[in-house]
Amino acid sequence: MIRTPLRPLARILSARAKGENPDAIERENLRLRHEEMRDRSRLKAEGRLLLLGLAFVAGFGLVGLRMGVLAASAPEEPKSGQAGPAIVAQRADITDREGRILATNLVTHALYAQPKLMVDPAGAAEKLALIFPDLDAEKLTKDFTGAKKFLWIKKRISPEQMQLVHEIGDPGLLFGPREMRLYPNGALASHILGGSSFGREGVASAEVIGTAGVEKTFDGWLRDPANGGAPLQLSIDLSVQATVEEVLDGGMKLMNAKGAAAVLMDVKTGEVIAMASLPDFDPNTRPAPLTKGQAGDSPLFNRAVQGVYELGSTFKIFAVAQALDLGVVNPMTMVDTKSPMFWGKYKIRDFHNYGAQNTVTDVVVKSSNVGTAHIIGMVGAEKQQSFLKSLGFFEPTEVELVEAPTGKPLIPKKWSEISMLTISYGHGLSASPLHLAAAYASIVNGGTRVRPTILKTDKVQEGERVISEKTSETARSLLRQVVVRGTASFGEVPGYAVGGKTGTADKPKPTGGYYDDKVITTFASTFPAYDPKYVLIVTLDEPVESSGDEPRRTAGWTSVPVAAEVIRRVAPLLGLRPEVEPGLEAGVTRVSSN
Amino acid sequence: MSYLDYSLATAPAGWRKVLHVHWPLVFLIGAVSSVGFLMLYSVAGGDLGTWAEPQMKRFAVGLVVMFVIGFTPIKVWKGLSVVGYVGTVLLLVAVELFGSMGMGAQRWLELGPIRLQPSELMKITLVMMLAAYYDWLDPRKVSRPLWVLIPVLLILIPAALVLKQPNLGTTLLLLAGGGAVMLVAGVSLWYFGAVIGTGVGLVSAVFESRGTSWQLIKDYQFRRIDTFLDPAADPLGAGYNIMQAKIALGSGGWSGKGFMQGTQSQLNFLPEKHTDFIFNTLAEEFGFVGGISLLALYVLIIGFCFLSAFGNRDRYGALVTYGIATAFFLLIAVNMGMVMGMLPVVGVPLPLVSNGGTAMIILLMGFGLVQSAHIHRPR
Repeated sequence: MIRTPLRPLARILSARAKGENPDAIERENLRLRHEEMRDRSRLKAEGRLLLLGLAFVAGFGLVGLRMGVLAASAPEEPKSGQAGPAIVAQRADITDREGRILATNLVTHALYAQPKLMVDPAGAAEKLALIFPDLDAEKLTKDFTGAKKFLWIKKRISPEQMQLVHEIGDPGLLFGPREMRLYPNGALASHILGGSSFGREGVASAEVIGTAGVEKTFDGWLRDPANGGAPLQLSIDLSVQATVEEVLDGGMKLMNAKGAAAVLMDVKTGEVIAMASLPDFDPNTRPAPLTKGQAGDSPLFNRAVQGVYELGSTFKIFAVAQALDLGVVNPMTMVDTKSPMFWGKYKIRDFHNYGAQNTVTDVVVKSSNVGTAHIIGMVGAEKQQSFLKSLGFFEPTEVELVEAPTGKPLIPKKWSEISMLTISYGHGLSASPLHLAAAYASIVNGGTRVRPTILKTDKVQEGERVISEKTSETARSLLRQVVVRGTASFGEVPGYAVGGKTGTADKPKPTGGYYDDKVITTFASTFPAYDPKYVLIVTLDEPVESSGDEPRRTAGWTSVPVAAEVIRRVAPLLGLRPEVEPGLEAGVTRVSSN
Repeated sequence: MSYLDYSLATAPAGWRKVLHVHWPLVFLIGAVSSVGFLMLYSVAGGDLGTWAEPQMKRFAVGLVVMFVIGFTPIKVWKGLSVVGYVGTVLLLVAVELFGSMGMGAQRWLELGPIRLQPSELMKITLVMMLAAYYDWLDPRKVSRPLWVLIPVLLILIPAALVLKQPNLGTTLLLLAGGGAVMLVAGVSLWYFGAVIGTGVGLVSAVFESRGTSWQLIKDYQFRRIDTFLDPAADPLGAGYNIMQAKIALGSGGWSGKGFMQGTQSQLNFLPEKHTDFIFNTLAEEFGFVGGISLLALYVLIIGFCFLSAFGNRDRYGALVTYGIATAFFLLIAVNMGMVMGMLPVVGVPLPLVSNGGTAMIILLMGFGLVQSAHIHRPR
């Protein structure tokens, strides 16, 4: 920039020569320079103001324009549909054969905390402890004031609890929607249903996955949206299941047993109508597996499917049926029953001495081990093996429970002659009550193989033939006679012809050998005996009937009365009409004989 | 006579000052405030005592404060600028300290019946400080880096303190207001360009990085920004205010539903209906016509401030007036933009209309300075 000096020498000299004050020149120049400066800055400032003014005009214009657009628009209601991600973990319901709910879903909430957002951590912790007595205020305070940014407080809370927590009013306490699996019947059918738990878990939702039972077997199916929310229908009948469990529980306590199992099965379709294992659990709060003791004593253990036991004399019907079917005996054939019987170094004895000879019928009715051994001796080990195999005793049951493969029968590695003899009366081969139910169904239903299922099918199974129709009929008659005049006399139920076979087996010691005061008692029954519709297996673990002078442990005194009570109660529920014998009608005298 | 050495003798003195008050501005302020009283009366369901009456009282007090400040020579305020700025910054620090000591953040000081938020006062004292600075500074030096750095620091220090409170809205207003004073003072446009460019670059870099391997911020932070920018995605959460506001505006139509007839505001659908979102009530009850009229009043107020400053040869007075007018504009623009869904909700009241003591008093103090600059301008 070119600057003029404030005191140009030439002008000062000439001013001095004229006698004027040279300072006036400086003042004048200073003023001019200031004016020039001011004009320049004003010019610049005007430009700036124009810029600012334009910005303001633009701002106001935009606001005005927007106002106009909004005023011209129709008021638009907000849609709440997009409030959050939809819960995708919709799990299908499980119902019984009549469509009654066994497992369903409930929308609930999880409670979590973000301590960074909390206003009053100590106060909130104290109030939470009041709402949830199982929470510890001190521990919560520590969590809330520590370095944690996030923590779960409760995985599932009720609406009332949610409201109470809401009323604490702390912004750091937050709720996440949860779809919770609910078993409205509590412990009922717990071993069949199994249970579920949360899988992958987020704040907005959590995955529900099956952990046991049908929940796990059909986990994929239950979660498959392609099924369109159709429920999984089981073969279980809820009211029958409830009755079976109730009677079994009472019977178990009455007989001082430590465990019990029952299976009620349709002999033609193989559908399991009821299946119980005691002790049981509530799938809503599934307990953790036992870490010590025997797994077989855990409430989670399904005795009916997973438990393999020596089922004792219930097996005799298989030996007899096979012998009848092969034609080596008929019901009236006399069989040697002299006890004890010697086989090499082994000795086989009966509970009582039944005399030197008995008919085949009486061998079953009186439950003679010796007689059965002689009968199977006529059949042979190889045929016995293939027969038991055809009844399903060599493989785990194929029932649709995730636990089923663990119920693998224990069979002797080498099928020696002595094995053949002991297995004929139910020792030396262990199988589950469900195995027994399926085998009995196959024997009494006319002689065709039945495989158990837990799903409702309503379809008669066209299984391979195991015995002839006629043998089946004979076997039914034998079983009926066991109840009428044999070891299962407590099995009589007024109005219903029950047939069945008892079985009392000493429990094996873990160290080898057998206890002489611990037994597994089983009653394998079928009803109505002459045209069987159902088989019922009742097994008690270590029962002692103590009403008499001496403790009684045989199946006839323990399992049979429990099974009879079950049949008495469930037969009407199953739609079976009682057969009232005409002659017993009180006060009625028959005058005509046609 | 130069504007540099004018004396107070040429400016009006004593009672003659009354004649030189910028009366149109006073009437406009009164008119806008009256709209506020009307709306507060309406949103209270036709009750004077809830909000309208206290607001009137505060307005009366504020008016007295405005005239007292207005009649005090602008030179006095210029002399007090530095003291006022330092004092307010100290108050901010004090509030920060005491606020963090007690439970719950206290962001204000109790001065008798009036609660004073230092962050609000800061808007005025920052403008005064910057005006004093540029009045003192040789105009030829304004664009030199060192002399630019000083006002930048003067702005950033209080802005940082307010941001820490946290009060994002006021922070942005301080930044924008201070920047406007620097702009008017003649700081080279290159600086502004550089700042804006850096800001835009930074923001776009952050967004560009989304989903790439060099992502600059976390996913959840992006989601927060998403909700911040698009509240309609969450109409029951963060977007509730805005959706309701849009309904109110939309249902008002051109001429509105009539005084006290607005369902959205009368039926309590609107949050903050008496403070930040009061414009909705106006728009619903008086429609587009009512809204645009209020806007016109605001435009006139700012226009008069600009004209007054433009004709003012006193650099300090002019800069203060520009600064106050800019702050006022920013309040209006941000509030209306927020209400109408053009800006995120940051919690800025509608000046002179929204219910609130501090904002009203502070604004009238600011207009007091504008009056003082106008009355005592060199002639």
